[in-house]
Amino acid sequence: MIGFLILCTFIGIIIIAFASVTQKKLSNAIILFMGVGLGSVILFFIFKAPDVALTEAVIGSGISSLIFLIALKHLKGKR
Amino acid sequence: MSLKRDLPTSTISGFALSASLILTILNILLHNIPNNIQTAGDELLKLNATEGVANAVTTVVVYFRGFDTLGEIAVLFIASLGLGLMLDENKQCDLKAKSNFMLQTASKLLFPIIMLFGIYVMVYGHLSPGGGFQGGVIIASGILLLLISFNEFEVPHSVVSLLEIFAGASYVIIGLIGLLVLDRFLGNFLPNDISNMGMLLSGGIIPIIYIIVGIKVGSEMSVISENLIKRCEDV
Repeated sequence: MIGFLILCTFIGIIIIAFASVTQKKLSNAIILFMGVGLGSVILFFIFKAPDVALTEAVIGSGISSLIFLIALKHLKGKR
Repeated sequence: MSLKRDLPTSTISGFALSASLILTILNILLHNIPNNIQTAGDELLKLNATEGVANAVTTVVVYFRGFDTLGEIAVLFIASLGLGLMLDENKQCDLKAKSNFMLQTASKLLFPIIMLFGIYVMVYGHLSPGGGFQGGVIIASGILLLLISFNEFEVPHSVVSLLEIFAGASYVIIGLIGLLVLDRFLGNFLPNDISNMGMLLSGGIIPIIYIIVGIKVGSEMSVISENLIKRCEDV
């Protein structure tokens, strides 16, 4: 059961990452990048690394994606 | 639209090359698995009990590899220094869009809870998952929420610089006291009895150092996010 969950999470992360790379709109790509971070949080938690999971949840899918969105907004003002 | 038009051939060949490399490495690893794998983790876990800290990761990060943590903090400080150098203070450019009413109300409600959770993660870093880095970044994300929802909000620079000076200096001072008392940089000179394991006041200097790391990371990350939002540079 847990192996099946791990396999599903792995495949989901790969699919979301590929979708994020091939996205035309940059904001969609950033939202999908957040999804990659979320999937890796689940993986870290299953593999008994809650410290790394907390770090990834806060930094990887929280603050860095917000900073990407803010940078995107600044860039749109320039054009 | 076809996939071939969106992705250049170099990207596809890069994917193929990395996939074949990963398959080769996995093949080599699967054929050469030793019978009993020797790890350094077991030795460190045996040593962990001598410091009286329940969370083994905290002991490794703050105590056994305390000097590395000092270096990481220095790296973060240099990163914020470089951002402050690059982004001009005279060129203010705020985000064009006014924030939503919903975002303002929700951030007023959520900000104290986020701060409380950050301080909890920071103070209980030696008992539960988490610690200084995570708690500091949670506090910085609360300040980032205020920054994106209220245009007139500013991080108090005098308080932040005072906190940063205090945190950076006291880390080194605690390390030097350990050098004086126990002949070792960052020696655990406070009482760290193993019978107190699991209490809030346990582990000697380890929780103190993690709180210091949290203060430094939180102030630096909030200053970095304020710089990125409020200032701009003509490219």
